[in-house]
Amino acid sequence: MTPYRIGVDIGGTFTDFALLDDRSGSIVVHKQLTTPADPSVSVLEGIDALLARAGASIGEVRGIVHGMTLVTNAVLERKGARTGMLVTRGFRDVLDIGMERRYDLFDLRLQFAQPVVPRAWRAEIDERLRFDGSAERPLDPDQVRAAVTALVEEHAIEAVAVCFLNAYVDDRHERAAADVIRRAFPALAVSCSAEIVPFMREYERWTTTTVNAYTQPVLDRYLRRIEQGLATRRYAGTFHVMTSSGGVVTNALARRYPVRLIESGPAAGILMSGFLGRLSGESHLLAFDMGGTTAKGALLAHGKPVKRYDVEVARVHGFRAGSGLPLRIPVMDMIEIGAGGGSLAEVDERGLVRVGPRSAGADPGPACYGRGGTRPTLTDADLVVGCLDAGFFLGGAMRLDADRARAAIRDGVASRLGLDDARAAWGIHEIINEDCARAFRTHAAELGFDHRQCTMVAFGGAGPIHATRIARKLRIRRVIFPLGAGVFSALGLLVSPLAFETLRSHRQDLATLTPEALEAMFAPLIAEARQVLLDAGVAADDIQVTRSLDMRFVGQGHEVEVTPSTADPAAALAELAPRFKAEYARRYSPILPPAMIEIAAWKVEVTGPRPAIAADYRLARAGTAAVARKGTRPLYSPETESFVDCPVYDRYALAAGDRITGPALIEEHESTCVLGARDHATVDARLNLVAEIGGHE
Amino acid sequence: MKSADTTRFDPISLKILWDRLVSIADEMILSLVRSSFSITVREGYDLSCVLFDGNGASLAQGTFSVPGFTGTAPQTIRHMLAKFPPETLAPGDVLITNDPWMGTGHLFDVNVLRPVFRDGRIVAYTLSITHLPDIGGLGMSAVAAEVYEEGLTIPIMKLVDRGVVNQGLVDLIRANVRVPDMVIGDLMANVTCTEVGGRELVEFMDEYGVPDLSALSAAIRNQSESAIREAIRAIPDGVYRNAIDIEGIDRPLRLAARVEVRGENIAIDFDGTDAPVRGAINVPLCYTRAMSWYVVKCLTIPHLPNNEGATRPIAVEAPTGCVLNAERPWPTGGRHAVGHFIVPLLMGAFADALPDRVIADLGMMNVFNVHGTNREGRGFTSLFFLAGGWGAMQGNDGAPTLPGPSNMMVVPTEIWENLTNITVEKRALLTDSGGAGAARGGVGQEVRFRNDSGHALTVAFLGQRTEFPAKGFHGGQPGRRREYFIDDQPAAPKGRHVIAPGSTFTTFEAGGGGFGDPKARPRERVLDDVRAGFVSAQAARDVYGVPDT
Repeated sequence: MTPYRIGVDIGGTFTDFALLDDRSGSIVVHKQLTTPADPSVSVLEGIDALLARAGASIGEVRGIVHGMTLVTNAVLERKGARTGMLVTRGFRDVLDIGMERRYDLFDLRLQFAQPVVPRAWRAEIDERLRFDGSAERPLDPDQVRAAVTALVEEHAIEAVAVCFLNAYVDDRHERAAADVIRRAFPALAVSCSAEIVPFMREYERWTTTTVNAYTQPVLDRYLRRIEQGLATRRYAGTFHVMTSSGGVVTNALARRYPVRLIESGPAAGILMSGFLGRLSGESHLLAFDMGGTTAKGALLAHGKPVKRYDVEVARVHGFRAGSGLPLRIPVMDMIEIGAGGGSLAEVDERGLVRVGPRSAGADPGPACYGRGGTRPTLTDADLVVGCLDAGFFLGGAMRLDADRARAAIRDGVASRLGLDDARAAWGIHEIINEDCARAFRTHAAELGFDHRQCTMVAFGGAGPIHATRIARKLRIRRVIFPLGAGVFSALGLLVSPLAFETLRSHRQDLATLTPEALEAMFAPLIAEARQVLLDAGVAADDIQVTRSLDMRFVGQGHEVEVTPSTADPAAALAELAPRFKAEYARRYSPILPPAMIEIAAWKVEVTGPRPAIAADYRLARAGTAAVARKGTRPLYSPETESFVDCPVYDRYALAAGDRITGPALIEEHESTCVLGARDHATVDARLNLVAEIGGHE
Repeated sequence: MKSADTTRFDPISLKILWDRLVSIADEMILSLVRSSFSITVREGYDLSCVLFDGNGASLAQGTFSVPGFTGTAPQTIRHMLAKFPPETLAPGDVLITNDPWMGTGHLFDVNVLRPVFRDGRIVAYTLSITHLPDIGGLGMSAVAAEVYEEGLTIPIMKLVDRGVVNQGLVDLIRANVRVPDMVIGDLMANVTCTEVGGRELVEFMDEYGVPDLSALSAAIRNQSESAIREAIRAIPDGVYRNAIDIEGIDRPLRLAARVEVRGENIAIDFDGTDAPVRGAINVPLCYTRAMSWYVVKCLTIPHLPNNEGATRPIAVEAPTGCVLNAERPWPTGGRHAVGHFIVPLLMGAFADALPDRVIADLGMMNVFNVHGTNREGRGFTSLFFLAGGWGAMQGNDGAPTLPGPSNMMVVPTEIWENLTNITVEKRALLTDSGGAGAARGGVGQEVRFRNDSGHALTVAFLGQRTEFPAKGFHGGQPGRRREYFIDDQPAAPKGRHVIAPGSTFTTFEAGGGGFGDPKARPRERVLDDVRAGFVSAQAARDVYGVPDT
């Protein structure tokens, strides 16, 4: 009997573990400091500790799902492999030329992320396919061998990206070059652009491919250490890795596509929000996660997150959008802003208060940590206004210094602007609420979502502190504070299905598309994607296929994704135009442009069975206080501009059905849920706190 | 927050309310960009959205807009309300004009204004500006002799009257432009976005309990004004002059500027600038002002949200009858071709006063118009953008291939080849094209095309920096000039050319200017540049004084 599954989520500071017993729905969790030099150490130790805590043996574990930040960190910290590039003659500089676009028209000192392959490590190859895939110049295998030999000997490369023009139409030159390289240098990691992402637009495709090559050896070494450690423990179950799009893949596939893991961090939390939402019968959700440096928001319809196929990583210059590396990989669509507990508050050039995106980081951290930080942060403000308790931060594991927090706010903001300390602290707190609300409002508008119809799920260390006020600004009526917010992502790993996405760029007028041609375009994509899941051990009948198309009006630049409701080609084709127009009208404008419609990209997503956590799952209690109400503490009231005594509750002592009327502070180890004066909360059967935001008309 | 219905706003409330207003203007822009057909709107943000209070005083401008729209809107609304006084306006009215002298300097830009009503009275106005895909006349071209040849002028009129579209006007526009569906589509996108902005403004007023925006708008303008005045006070007082020569129609043009900084005010005068020319590159004063304000903003508080307060301390004048104050009927369609040079002109003037803020000259961008037929027989007319190198600044090398002062979007080679069947043989950075300096100018690029479309092709080049390279500042050297070749023979930089099937055309995009003495460049930086191939070993030795690379 192998009843257990384990989720392991590596974060910057902690690695979180969750062990689920599928028989009873009971969940045991564990937290352990991450070992940044070699995260596999904390992963393996943590699994041992988790099993010991649960009294289970590794032989009873059926599957382990792993979420990691290794790939992201390798790119951010430039700790990837020495990577070379083979590129079509004449196009070596595409990576430096970039988008030829300024992300800021007023800041003249703008900076851009450097490519991961230095210019001198890119070798041009005499080969050329035309726009239609026909060969203008054939590939010379000897030249490929010579070029790679030179890169290996002169620059000691460990990985190589093969990036040829128009390979998205036909990749025979890329495949031939890869064959030559693999035969001559079996130890080199090889990534071909059409295999990594067969997407039209060479700069983005090649950037994605070079990042894949750059991270391949690093991920391979890491996975090998984990596999060896698990083998030593005689683990016989499956091992899956979380991707950026919310599906999991086998370790073999992760090794092929490490770039797809790059944004896996937030994906699991969003998935868990979806799972909770489905259990609670909420159709539209806003998953809100705020941690130490950033806040993230993702919208979900019917429990399903919105996906997109582009993401930007490694931003420089104050994390400005447009300054990083654009990647074409499937990701969950979300908005991320530089607003977290460590966000620094300062007087800006307007003479007003700005909070973030600069962060005090973990070291020195907020002033109240007493580690030498003197500049005010959001955490300092949250402490001064009373949202946090100096004696109960991380469940009392760390003492906060309220005097230092107040002094930092006074020196950095209040005295410079003639405000009293409390008003300045409240201002910092409220500015972050406004910044988040504004970002989420814009994101919802971009997706054609009505955020007022959403229920918010709030997690992360700072999310529950700010959730109700942000919800109020967005006219959201309900906020769910899940139990176990501190290990929310580890839980999310346990509800992630095996999944794989692939796409192809191909421009096609809708008017001349036939059902046969529609099916012919999708067939190879579906076959490829299905094979991935079959290889991972999913039964053919359990594979769900979703086809979708990126469509646009000819002449317009913005595409709309259309998903036909049926696999039948003729019926699907008939649906495309009306569905496209309806979606266009919903997102942009009810006035439809008088233009032809075309298809730009063809996308396929395959999904295996969705693992569930029993609906009545229970987290093992972290505390067992008998009395829920701990007392009161002064909380700043913006309505009266003064402090009022606010009841404080111990979350771990609350029982299903308990009701709390705001204002109230409900404390747990990793965070504090803040209820406003007009809010009411109830504890549901799974011990989630569900707050109704009062005062909406 | 307490009700904001007070004439005083503390720094917290002001920040929150102000940022929210900017975000409403940003949402208008989002709505425009996503439904527009004009490539310059969509990719280049050749647009602007502005909010005004009920008195027509500016509240906020959207974050994204090209520099030429900095501060033009307050004048535009004044012209509009002079013709249609507020008391004559009704809910559902929308005003329009594309008059170059009342709007933003050429007929292509349409200005659309909507009064916003709440409880039966005007509480705000929303205005949007976009560059239309076409406005009739000669089209995007430098050959017009008078504005009348450049297309349709729409005087200040009602585009929508109490919710009813002025069909006569729409028909008139439709009959005068080449791509009527797209032009009308874009007009309607403007109408929609002003409605989006108006709705959001009313919601904003409800949510924060602000019955009247005028106190808030005054607070925002005053805060901006005092911030910019403080920044100007930090600039050393003095009179600063500069003059530059640029490519004109058939002979070079001289632009001159006198900048006087006194206390917390700046006065800019373009006296000494050449007369207007018979070609569509003349600049109305509104555009000259916008570009001047843009420069001061970059040099002082780049991220100060735009509004009238920020421009109040900066007086800009140009003598009537000079190319930077061209009056009707001078043609102005390509006013940016000259107007963009206000940036290097004023940067040069400020070079000694603000050495750590100014930027050496930019390689600027190249726009060319390609008209042909692909292998399937499908006709195409497309704008193709290419950027030269960015200018160097004190302590900051210029980035390669970056457009300025406006923005653009590159067309990827794969999309271009698929659309036109014109093969791109090469896109390569040009060694030694960035002006040498202690900080190096950004390198330009060589792009080589081969006409494989199977048909003859017409190409019209519109690039600057072909005679006058990007200057270096403070001892920095100029960047490489922009050059055009057809079948490897030099080609006229402003002509229209027919490219035969199988022929090639090549552009060498200009490099940016350097900053500071090249001999002062740290040796390690020179060696890095040689290793990367941005600087040759010979230039390292001869120009930078670094032998043995």
